[in-house]
Amino acid sequence: MMQPNLRKEGRDARPKRMETLRCALVAVAALPSIAACVQVTAPERPIEINLNINIRQEVVVRLQEDVRELIQQNPGVF
Amino acid sequence: MNRRMKLMVAVGLGVAALAGGTAYAYVMQDVAGELRATGQVGEQADGYLGLVGSASADIRARTNDVNIQRRAAYTQLAAQRNATIEEVAAATACQLFRQRVGPGQHYRLPDGVWRRRNGSEPVPLPDHCG
Repeated sequence: MMQPNLRKEGRDARPKRMETLRCALVAVAALPSIAACVQVTAPERPIEINLNINIRQEVVVRLQEDVRELIQQNPGVF
Repeated sequence: MNRRMKLMVAVGLGVAALAGGTAYAYVMQDVAGELRATGQVGEQADGYLGLVGSASADIRARTNDVNIQRRAAYTQLAAQRNATIEEVAAATACQLFRQRVGPGQHYRLPDGVWRRRNGSEPVPLPDHCG
């Protein structure tokens, strides 16, 4: 009775691992391709807000112009 | 085509244009701005909207909806700029604190305390804004 269950889990897990491996390989092989691996689908669970995040200040400063555009291009969201 | 038919076509086109305009206005409406204006939702230093107190189910749902859309936008930009999602979100918070928190509206710095913007005094920025 346990056998079919175990096999089912194994079958589900394998493609996921393959996908992760493929994403990692693509990311290493070509930096511009990283975008292809990023999933932009919205999470189903509510987002947990963590205010004590670790961020690099120079990156935040570098991004200011980009985020200004992001805000302008997405009225209603920002 | 007689006069009456022409009139009917004109009225039909008018109604269609009106409906289209309404639909457009609905898509373009400032959901985040409306939520901030309720006083129950504020901008956080992490780049997301937060609930100031115990908000209604409707406001909670709309806030969550906006945050999901924000996260999608942050994720996309982070990939393009070789930054983390949290960094893009935090950088956006700097701009939102400057531009979008209106007088009397709420904001939350990394200390976790909700504050109200006093009149047109500038909103203090989180340390990470530089």
